[in-house]
Amino acid sequence: MARDRNRTDKPGKGVTRRGFLGTVGAGAVAAVTGLPRPGEAVPEITEPKGMVETALSINGRMHRLLVEPRWTLLFVLREQMGITGTKIGCARGECGACTVLMDGSPRYACMTLALEAQGHEITTVEGLMDGEELGDVQQAFVEEDAFQCGYCTAGQVVAAQGLLAANPSPTVDEIRAGMAGNLCRCGAYVHIFRAVERAAKGRGKGGGR
Amino acid sequence: MTRRDSYWAEGPLPETPSPQSSPAPWGTTRVVGTRRPRIDAYERVSGTAVYPSDVVLPGMLYGAILRCPHAHALVKRVDASRAEGMPGVRAVMTGRSKVADLDWPYSRRDHSKLFDPHCRHEGEAVAAVAADTPQQAADALRAIQVDYEVLPFVADERDAVAAGAPKIRDGGNLAGEPEVSERGDVAKGFAEADVVLERSYRCAYEIHAPMECHGCVARWDGNRLTVWESTQGVFRIQATLAGMLHLPLTDVRVIGHYMGGGFGSKLQAGKYTVIASLLARVTARPVKLFLSRQETMLCVGNRPGAEIRLKAGVKKDGTLTAFELSSLTSPGAYEVGAGLLDWLARDLYTCPNVRTESRVAFINAGPARPMRAPGHPQGAWALEQMIDELAEAIQMDPVELRLRNVPKVSQARGGKPYTSTGLARCLEEGAKAFGWSEARKKQQQNGRYRRGVGSAACLWIAGGGGPPSTVIVKLFADGSVNLNMGASDIGTGTKSVMAMVVSEELGVNPDQIRVENADTATTQFATPSGGSKTVPTESPAVRDAAIAVKKQLLALVAEEKGWDPADLELDGQAVVSRTDPQRRLPFAEISRLQRQRVIVGVGYRGPNPEDAVVNPFAAQFCEVEVDTNTGEVRVLRFLGAHDSGRVLNRLTYDNQVFGGITMGIGFGLTEERVLDRRQTGKMLNANLHSYRMPTALDVPADMVSLPIELGDTECNTTGAKGLGEPVTIPTAAAIANAVHDAVGVRVTDTPITPSRLIGLLAVAHKEG
Amino acid sequence: MLPKFTYSRPGSLVQVANLAARPGTRVHAGGTDLLGCLRDGVFGAESLVSLSGLSDLRGVTPTSGGGLRIGALTTIAEIAANDAISDRYPALAQAAASVASPQLRNQGTIGGNLCQKPRCWYYRGDFHCLRKGGDTCYAFDGENQYHCILGGDGCYIVHPSDTAPALAALGARVTAVSAGGRRTIAVEKLHVPPSTDPQRETALEPGEILTEVILPPPPSGLRSSYRKIRERASWDFAVVGVALALVFDGHTVTTANIFLSGAAPVPWRARQAEEVLNGSNLDGATVERAAHAAVADAEPLAHNAYKVPLFAGLIKEQLTTLGGGT
Repeated sequence: MARDRNRTDKPGKGVTRRGFLGTVGAGAVAAVTGLPRPGEAVPEITEPKGMVETALSINGRMHRLLVEPRWTLLFVLREQMGITGTKIGCARGECGACTVLMDGSPRYACMTLALEAQGHEITTVEGLMDGEELGDVQQAFVEEDAFQCGYCTAGQVVAAQGLLAANPSPTVDEIRAGMAGNLCRCGAYVHIFRAVERAAKGRGKGGGR
Repeated sequence: MTRRDSYWAEGPLPETPSPQSSPAPWGTTRVVGTRRPRIDAYERVSGTAVYPSDVVLPGMLYGAILRCPHAHALVKRVDASRAEGMPGVRAVMTGRSKVADLDWPYSRRDHSKLFDPHCRHEGEAVAAVAADTPQQAADALRAIQVDYEVLPFVADERDAVAAGAPKIRDGGNLAGEPEVSERGDVAKGFAEADVVLERSYRCAYEIHAPMECHGCVARWDGNRLTVWESTQGVFRIQATLAGMLHLPLTDVRVIGHYMGGGFGSKLQAGKYTVIASLLARVTARPVKLFLSRQETMLCVGNRPGAEIRLKAGVKKDGTLTAFELSSLTSPGAYEVGAGLLDWLARDLYTCPNVRTESRVAFINAGPARPMRAPGHPQGAWALEQMIDELAEAIQMDPVELRLRNVPKVSQARGGKPYTSTGLARCLEEGAKAFGWSEARKKQQQNGRYRRGVGSAACLWIAGGGGPPSTVIVKLFADGSVNLNMGASDIGTGTKSVMAMVVSEELGVNPDQIRVENADTATTQFATPSGGSKTVPTESPAVRDAAIAVKKQLLALVAEEKGWDPADLELDGQAVVSRTDPQRRLPFAEISRLQRQRVIVGVGYRGPNPEDAVVNPFAAQFCEVEVDTNTGEVRVLRFLGAHDSGRVLNRLTYDNQVFGGITMGIGFGLTEERVLDRRQTGKMLNANLHSYRMPTALDVPADMVSLPIELGDTECNTTGAKGLGEPVTIPTAAAIANAVHDAVGVRVTDTPITPSRLIGLLAVAHKEG
Repeated sequence: MLPKFTYSRPGSLVQVANLAARPGTRVHAGGTDLLGCLRDGVFGAESLVSLSGLSDLRGVTPTSGGGLRIGALTTIAEIAANDAISDRYPALAQAAASVASPQLRNQGTIGGNLCQKPRCWYYRGDFHCLRKGGDTCYAFDGENQYHCILGGDGCYIVHPSDTAPALAALGARVTAVSAGGRRTIAVEKLHVPPSTDPQRETALEPGEILTEVILPPPPSGLRSSYRKIRERASWDFAVVGVALALVFDGHTVTTANIFLSGAAPVPWRARQAEEVLNGSNLDGATVERAAHAAVADAEPLAHNAYKVPLFAGLIKEQLTTLGGGT
């Protein structure tokens, strides 16, 4: 299924998927005008105790927020915006559960300050969906049973998405190397390899994006 | 029972009402046994599954726990005054807080206080805060001043039993007298042997490290408490909270629909659950309290390491004559269980003379919790390497030696028969599928890279499941189904497997079945998921509930249409006659069903056979490549042949096999808790980069799962035995045996790192 | 949890340098090491000054002299994937490819990799060790299986960088810019041994920003490599590692540069091994001698003597591989 990576405002995505979580972090999500646009410099020095205005592009949609400089992208996604597909496993770049795409490249949201994400396109696992339909990598993970508890899965799926974007037809060893930044304690690696292979094959046949 | 009692049996003898059906074993199945993606796969890959750590509630605060930085210390004074006044801080709680003056049951045998001034391990809880943001909570913790009196510590069980060791528990450093088990006469056995070997083995401590950290969200509504907890068993959490907080069970609702892995470390409540509930109580706000990764590595369990000395005798014809095993291990600072190291030596192979002596010592380290097949991987590390050495000594293939000693009965249980034992077939068919004989006959290798193959076998002491379990199946007017069960799906695919069982009975497509589970308010009591007992426990109850629905529905139709109920069956959309194709009544046309809108079936788990033992068996085979320049070991391929009874879902079954092997690769090659043994006792690798779990590059893509199905009709009504533990028991030993086959070096200590192997290779080179 | 700090992201290097010179300020490049250290309380920071507004610090470009300029914000992944680097300086490409994990390579920068803090578990843990201003090195009497066998002096860390030994072997230099001006430093001289100052990792002064790495043109006949041994196959620092840059004239090694990782508190130049190799033909006996010469002066601690045979085996292997074409 061909899809537009840069689409915006598809219904049924992100926060709205989780009814009872809908009111989260309202205090920090402010409707402020005159915010810096992505790529613009933030004020030279932020106030020590203050919140900083920022704008983050997440899954094709711009979000204007007040953040503390020390807040990570992961914290803002999960606890301020309720976009909880991205998981927290270690908060220090050692497990991969928080993998997101930044301008298409996988990286750890726990080691990325929210302010450093400004000006970049952030894609989370929710952003790989097409409305309520699974993306091709997600579908491949379903079919190959490429997870057990599922907690690392969002990070694995996003890492696989990044891997396939950079290398559309990886060998098994390239898949192993490309997925080596995401721990799976349940040990679903063998099925993960098969899922990534399946997704790559599907794209080769014009099945993916 | 003593320390062998464990997490699958606690308190009074478990029992549920008798099942209403005693169905014959399935013959040909339509759904059971097929490869089927999980029914909740969409939620798990889309990010919509709400794990406990995802829960965000309006007005929610964040809790955090101040932890003792010393291995052993007394809290002399806690000054939280500065923290109390900090921005965003809503509550500070210490050992002096009245509300927190509670006993904490580390186990039924061993208690301390919730905030105990005597901190017996690094990471013990000293104080807690709740604040508007987790950052503010952390700031507040940093502002709490604690005066500690640092006490002498013991960080290793070998140090604990050494002369002059600091006494870290009032009763001494040993947890009771050594536990001895004995049958036959080992002296006689060794005298009869042609070869007697004696070796020492050591296993490092392992950490469970599930990807979702331990924690919960707690919320009060008046006197009713709701907790979203990352747990393997919501009812265990409910019982602990109700007991400690003096609440009726009905007022404690614990929800654990999804959870990010546990491996035994989430079978029980943690102090954090109680602390979160207390913080929520005093602030009148929901409180989220999830541990940091570092905290989980210090405080919520480990697989105890072990010193194992094993002496074994064998005759030239392969008859095992005696095993003598002594072990020393530690559950940490509290008596929470650290046993079963000797179980395989006592029960896996036919051997008339066995004596084991197990010693358990206290050390100043975090309490152990059951970890995937407690004691067994350590025991297999010793026993299965010894079997290999014995085979070599009598010039017999090690698979052949194992085959010569396959038991028919459980010798450690006084000779009770197993309902089924697939050990021989696991070994034979596994060896054949692996190409064992061909791989063993390889050419002499002289190059830098040497390849070798290894095998190891196991059984698992439990894996038969049993009562109690109560399950409800609801059939709705349109033929769709709700399955209501208390058990958690810890990632093994429980929900999907149970939906397949319902589907098998009712003919409904599994995709038409929604599962409601792991919620103490809406589902019925289930024991925690673990110990390879979830499928054999729950699947018979689920089958019983589905059959109860079927019986009622067929009775309705029989009455309505005047048909013979014995001639009727379900095809998923209609009630049909077995004999008359004209007799077919779609659900929409069953008037009683349409009027009452639902049919409810209740199912129970009956008891296991009294005079037989239900255990799963396995054999694993692997090939490795060793770089003799550097001691690097590459696992090239693995095969797991498992007798876990009937396979219910081949896709999730294979996934379990590969996952267990992966965890075993970690145990064998990379994982090791490191404490600062000589200076401070503190854990040095309480993180995921220097505590090394296998990555995608550490496991081979070439893994094969070979189910051995014997058609066990005696174990229970679905024929399933447990799988989750045996898959990880023999793995590390198989690797060690393969390394020996490759380079002729016996690695007796885990993990087999390049640093360890290069030293052994250098010694072997000098001697060779 | 991260402590409080202020944050700024200036658009000019001068502004960055001015801010970075203020006490309590730390420079944020990729952030992978900085945030970990702040989170673990290894050090504090009142303010962070981010380099991410300086887009001209990113990228690989040829220098007029035939070498390469690598901007300090170039990611490790970009270096690993760069064709010019893979073709001409394989040691650097191999080192970059062996760093951490794919995600960290996408995020971490070459500047940050050179300036990273040690991974010693006492230093990273809550131990007030010598390097953090205390009066003792806990590793010396403690769990020192991953610590140094060479160059320890009061502090027994190993330098964690993979790219540093590769760059040092390749003769690279870095440019450091401050409000007061700019200077260049050989990578070999960039790192400070504990004998000089146990509380300092690099020769950079406060307010000095590492802006670029300059690789000299590869001499004709240059062959280079980097390999490390680790305890798991990904996402792990070097237990032992070796960067080789050998210049061949026909079958003869005319210049050998050998730098070790996992050996010493700084990327360690194995001079004795270089001397064995210079003018040699890389025959089996020479390789063997060089491999042992590299660690001849090793003074292992209680638990890391294994590093001596491990280095010898690794160096032997890498020399044999590089010499394969001769």
